[in-house]
Amino acid sequence: MLITSKICDELTDQEAVARALQEVDYFSCLYQRYEPALLRYVQRITGVNHAGAEDILQDAFIKIWRNLRAYNPKMKLSSWMYRIVHNEAVSTLRKQSSYGKHKTVDWAAAEPVLLRTLLSEVEAADEGPVSAAQLHLWINQLSRKYREVVLLRYFEELDYEAISDILEIPEGTVATRLNRARKALEKTATAPNPKK
Amino acid sequence: MNTAQKLVEQIKARQIKPRPKWYFITLEWAIWLGFAFTVFLGALAFSIILFTIQQVDFQLLQHLQHSWLEGLLSLLPLIWIGFLTLALLLSMYTLRYAERGYKFTFFHLVGYSAALSIMLGTIFFISGGAQELERAFAIRVDLYQSVQEKKEQIWSLPQAGYLGGTIMAVTPEAFELEDFEGKKWSIDYGQADWPPRIQLVPGERIKLRGEQTSASAFSATFIRPWGGQLMNARQPQMKPKE
Repeated sequence: MLITSKICDELTDQEAVARALQEVDYFSCLYQRYEPALLRYVQRITGVNHAGAEDILQDAFIKIWRNLRAYNPKMKLSSWMYRIVHNEAVSTLRKQSSYGKHKTVDWAAAEPVLLRTLLSEVEAADEGPVSAAQLHLWINQLSRKYREVVLLRYFEELDYEAISDILEIPEGTVATRLNRARKALEKTATAPNPKK
Repeated sequence: MNTAQKLVEQIKARQIKPRPKWYFITLEWAIWLGFAFTVFLGALAFSIILFTIQQVDFQLLQHLQHSWLEGLLSLLPLIWIGFLTLALLLSMYTLRYAERGYKFTFFHLVGYSAALSIMLGTIFFISGGAQELERAFAIRVDLYQSVQEKKEQIWSLPQAGYLGGTIMAVTPEAFELEDFEGKKWSIDYGQADWPPRIQLVPGERIKLRGEQTSASAFSATFIRPWGGQLMNARQPQMKPKE
């Protein structure tokens, strides 16, 4: 049965989950709804190309399907899905022993509002303006735990609660990591010859 | 066919079914049961630690020939402290992996696990279970030296001024004491100090500080109840010193 975008649009997340459990075709609604954001996230966090990210996302969605009855409506569905996708991405790249070695992320489309905030914060510590491309490079140089929170906060524009649910860490730890990540970026920006 | 439809077709072709709800409920219950079990184990360990602390005569430590710390370490139930630590770590681990357990900070995890073990352990100790458990453990585990055994060793050093045992007979000037090895001692308690709660009656277990005056005679300077057991309920035959 083909589920059209129009039918999917009329369903809330909870309704789509309930329908999917009755009729698997409705699962496509969840995929359609979250694919763009999740695909972008996989690419940003892993640095793999589009095809690689799609493979990871497909595997993650199979896991989402298998565990659909474990979803607790107390949490946002998006956070729960991000979590599974995040774990799948990290796990896939760990198996390939190449996690964090990819530096080929296409950041061109990524200029959300919160990123400008981060840019202004880093700029404030420096003499001159910092380009988005330069900032992206520095973010890639952060260690994984800091890069994750920066990506989720400034690129996915998620709040602390959602980041806490995705990474399965307390909200206080999210705040601490963000703070340290900002300081690390500022330090890089104010260094005499920041790495480019 | 778009990617979403491809995904659904793949699920259908591979006949992948969502795991049943009971699977996740069982998993969640298993985690909570694991948490309850480790808290319970921690509580048992804590109750025995309390029992041991109750048994340690801290006044005695000052008189021991070794250092205070050395004496304390020899009396502390390190096995139970280790057991409590392990139970605490396991309960923290299970709580961390419970539903939304990741929301707890490290201090919350330690706090909740420790508070529950301490609370339950204290109740168990007050109810007298700790002493019974410790005794049962000492009987079944050969290598384990019970608190009582350790205590008896310390109070079996008459040449150093420490003697413990059971009162066998009492006269106005002296009483007969049987030590833990079955040896009979004549105890002069004319100069001894003892608290009103002590009943110097046959069958009473006591400990003495004083001086060994001959092979089987001991002059006591203070007398204290053995402790950790119910006192003899019989009426006193003698009045303690004022």
